Amino acid sequence: MTAPAGSRLAVGLRAIVTHVVGEADTAAAMGSGDVPVLGTPRLLALAEAATVAAVAPRLDDGQTSVGTAVHLEHRRASPLGAELAVEAELTEIDGPRLVFMFIARGARAGEDGEGEVIGAGTVERVVVDRGRFLTRLAGPPLA
Amino acid sequence: MMVSADLAAIAGHRFQEVDVTEIRAEMVANVWKVVASEGDKMADGDTLVILESMKMEIPVLAEGAGTLTKLAVAEGDVIQEGDLIAVIE
Repeated sequence: MTAPAGSRLAVGLRAIVTHVVGEADTAAAMGSGDVPVLGTPRLLALAEAATVAAVAPRLDDGQTSVGTAVHLEHRRASPLGAELAVEAELTEIDGPRLVFMFIARGARAGEDGEGEVIGAGTVERVVVDRGRFLTRLAGPPLA
Repeated sequence: MMVSADLAAIAGHRFQEVDVTEIRAEMVANVWKVVASEGDKMADGDTLVILESMKMEIPVLAEGAGTLTKLAVAEGDVIQEGDLIAVIE
């Protein structure tokens, strides 16, 4: 069955993932574009990593979370060597469904005095039983 | 008069009240596992099938007790919102 969200989860849980843009992170390297700047798929991966880190310690044994929906704005380009900090916060718990807000900032200060906003958006995940989830991928179980 | 009496008898026989519950899909989903079989006696809340949607398992439960007279889906089917899943009488 779909697992209910771990009882220790709470709105407001957050985590930050930091990263320096390298060759492998570029749109050109990832095939999502042809310029040597941070690729949008890589930004999404960083955002998802932050959401995972925000709740993983609070999930029950055997549970994990998997991504189901994303809204992402990639507002500024990040060249090779740029430092990023992507922060995710759990904003909603609806049964097994978790909704996160994330914001990615660069090292250079923006108008609000914090790092300039590179990207922002939301990520939705659902809490599942890891074993059953993987079993399900193999198709219907034998009777 | 005889005909009317016959009709009344037939009507009384054919149209006695039978609760029929059609269970339909509430979303697009894959049918992952069929749990019940036609002819099974179901209790309210028994699991009929398990759907998969948005990476989640979603059990479809009997809405009331009765006999599962029709199971309209099979494992591996892709169903749309509103599709018939089962009939319980």
